[in-house]
Amino acid sequence: MKILLALIKKEIKQILRDPSSIIIAFVLPFISIMIYMYGINLDSVKVTIGIKNDDNNPETATLVKSFGHSKYVNSINYDNEKDIETAIVRSKIKGAVIIPNDFSTKLSKGENADLMVITDGSEVNTANYVQSYAMSIANQWLSTSKFAKNTVKPLISVESRTWYNPDLNSHYFIVPGSVAVTMTLIGILLTSLVVAREWERGTMEALLSTRVRKIHIVLGKYIPYFLLGMLSMLFNVFLCTGVFQIPFRGSYLLLFLISGIFLLTCLGIGLTISSKLKNQFLASMVAMSLGFMPALMLSGLMFPINSMPKFFQYLTMFLPPRYYISFVESEFMTGGVYEIRIENAFYLTFLGLLLFFVVYKNTFSSLEKKPKSSFVNKQERGAL
Amino acid sequence: MDTVKIKNLTKKFGSTIALNDLSLNIEEGKITGLIGADGSGKTTLLRTVIGLLFPDSGEISVLGFNPSTQKEKLNSYIGYMPQKFGLYEDLTVIENLNLYADLKNVPHDFEKMLEFTSLSPFQDRLAGALSGGMKQKLGLACTLLGNPKFLLLDEPSVGVDPISRRDLMQMVRGMISPETTVLWSTAYLDEAHSFDTAVVIDKGKIIYEGKPHDLAKTPQEFENKVIDLMGGYSKTFSEIAENYVPHNIEMECTVIADKLEKKYGNFYAVKDNSFCIKKGEIFGLLGPNGAGKSTSFKMMCGLAKPTNGTASIMGIDIRKDPEKARSNLGYMAQKFSLYGSLTVRQNLEFFAAAYGINYTQRNDKVEEIIRVFGLDEYSEQKSEKLPLGLKQRLSMACALIHNPPVLFLDEPTSGVDVITRRDFWNHITSLSKKGVTILVTTHFMDEAEYCDRISLFYQGKTIAIGTPKQLKEQAKADDMETAFINLIKESEN
Repeated sequence: MKILLALIKKEIKQILRDPSSIIIAFVLPFISIMIYMYGINLDSVKVTIGIKNDDNNPETATLVKSFGHSKYVNSINYDNEKDIETAIVRSKIKGAVIIPNDFSTKLSKGENADLMVITDGSEVNTANYVQSYAMSIANQWLSTSKFAKNTVKPLISVESRTWYNPDLNSHYFIVPGSVAVTMTLIGILLTSLVVAREWERGTMEALLSTRVRKIHIVLGKYIPYFLLGMLSMLFNVFLCTGVFQIPFRGSYLLLFLISGIFLLTCLGIGLTISSKLKNQFLASMVAMSLGFMPALMLSGLMFPINSMPKFFQYLTMFLPPRYYISFVESEFMTGGVYEIRIENAFYLTFLGLLLFFVVYKNTFSSLEKKPKSSFVNKQERGAL
Repeated sequence: MDTVKIKNLTKKFGSTIALNDLSLNIEEGKITGLIGADGSGKTTLLRTVIGLLFPDSGEISVLGFNPSTQKEKLNSYIGYMPQKFGLYEDLTVIENLNLYADLKNVPHDFEKMLEFTSLSPFQDRLAGALSGGMKQKLGLACTLLGNPKFLLLDEPSVGVDPISRRDLMQMVRGMISPETTVLWSTAYLDEAHSFDTAVVIDKGKIIYEGKPHDLAKTPQEFENKVIDLMGGYSKTFSEIAENYVPHNIEMECTVIADKLEKKYGNFYAVKDNSFCIKKGEIFGLLGPNGAGKSTSFKMMCGLAKPTNGTASIMGIDIRKDPEKARSNLGYMAQKFSLYGSLTVRQNLEFFAAAYGINYTQRNDKVEEIIRVFGLDEYSEQKSEKLPLGLKQRLSMACALIHNPPVLFLDEPTSGVDVITRRDFWNHITSLSKKGVTILVTTHFMDEAEYCDRISLFYQGKTIAIGTPKQLKEQAKADDMETAFINLIKESEN
């Protein structure tokens, strides 16, 4: 116990004196959340579109006006199609709406009127927005215009309501998800260096010739970096809920409990890399690619898992961030679903224990692996 | 009673045999010196004895334990100082001591230890900021905590000045109890000569075991005898020097330092350093660790900018035209500074190109250097895999590839075994006879005797300059080591 305490004390002092671990634990999350908050936006953004009105009816002028008043759209009026084309090529506008000259005539007759919507397919997302905005603005205008009486009442009226995130604000799930990415990075990056460092500087050799045992070395690395990781987690959550006002509806107790389990899996990955490679540079490179990329790409944060090819779907089952992101998003937005909590906590605990076992197996109490042959036993008899 | 009993021990790494059917007993309460060339198996033997490595066959018993299976019990009784000292550089002196005291389960009572190592004033300094000598003392202090019954030191005095070496020896002798067994691996044969027992190991086998005084009465004779045991070294003519094409130089002083000064904040690393080295002279720069030798060296070759004064090489001012001045210079750095992942040949090709040797001549030049330096066997090996002695030879080959009139060698023999050192100095002296001007630093005082002139450096200043004979007379000493220590003590008063 005394040995473990001494090792933990030593590790904490090293952390405090080493600016890089403090930077990883506190500056990295800050930068990362800033990027996710302001840099990445999956939502409806205000798009600029062009409008060309060929119909002289005063009623269609109100349609042009409602495009101008929409909170999703900026509109610019054009007189000929050539100008619209140039504007789209120069990315001045993201699409255009053309009202044909027989638009109001057809509507007043109760016939089907055409409305042309041009979109820029080189930016698929934006093109979709332009299309759906144009549609909904036109429909809204129709229901309040004098042509409303000519429309057939639909038999089904769709009442749509979005649960948990009524504004469909993507920050509400991306930012908590980013916490998971940062936590992965912190957990793996911090610990990937620390065992390799002891090998490189020759301190491991000195430690191994004292009363230190395997379990001391393993726990002596796990515990201090767990504490640092949890502090970083606290800071992350504070940034999310305190500074950026992301709503949190779940239980803080469970959030930190399951985050703790998740952190253990990340520390486990980092320590495995570190004790296998014994080289700081190599370890940090492997940690970056093994930690960061899958957490971002294969965790379901950016790209939904069930739309991945089958092979990748199975692969994600071995990635701790997958379970954690699912948990964190649900904890923040829904206020906690017990099935999600239990399922993810179960898998994370399983992976955490598995990794701990791997780390323990990869930690030697000597400079090389103990030979398994019966020779050792023969030796012992010889010594006694 | 023997502390260590080894019978028919064999240890292989892949196909290399590190320890070959080795049998050895180490007597309790004695200091045993372990002597051998690089790669002879010294470190492997130490590591196997304390269970850090496992033997392939044979029997070991240490203090009655089997290190392979009872390492944990054994560890409570031993103190082991690995080559890199095992210190945490980002912890302070006292924090390192506290840590190792806790790991060895002994009270935090360091007063005697700190006094003995004279580290008391530096308790709160980071271990990484200590000088080489002080690091070593701290490493030893940590190793000595808990009064181990069996102390193992792996080349503790590599790269350390004579004063620190003498302190270290006194510290070990003063701190251990009479029953303590010490196994001390070393490349310094004068050190080994003062021990109770000497064990000479060569190619994983023991070739001599006995009292050093039985072998020879004086350290010098002892060195010669050990060299004989290792297969002997006969001074042959140096093919390296033979191959050197002399330059036609008219000037008297090829290397001049003119009031060199380097100031960091308020601290003078080097102050008012002036000397002139004549053509074909071997000029030795001696001094304790941290005296400013390396800083002077770096300024001399234009790697560090002097805050005042200047230096010139072959009459070219290093401040005005560093590139041109450097082109006359072959430089061998203190640490191995070649590309480890390149082969011997690739390193030579690179340096040939870097020194501006014409593309058409490059291949012939590289072939010639490989032959002259006896590197044929190793030319396709990665340089990081070479034993230390060969690495040094390759470094020297790279420094000499462009046939420079001036050669700078910064601790070229640090950590190298005695035969390689003799061979190395044979080349150096032969080169100087052909007119190469050589500036060299070293911690081996016997090597200082090879120099034509010596400048003794201490606390950034030259405290004495002259031939080895003049310095010994000035210090009223019989050998260089005593002269060195006396002159430094004198300058302190």
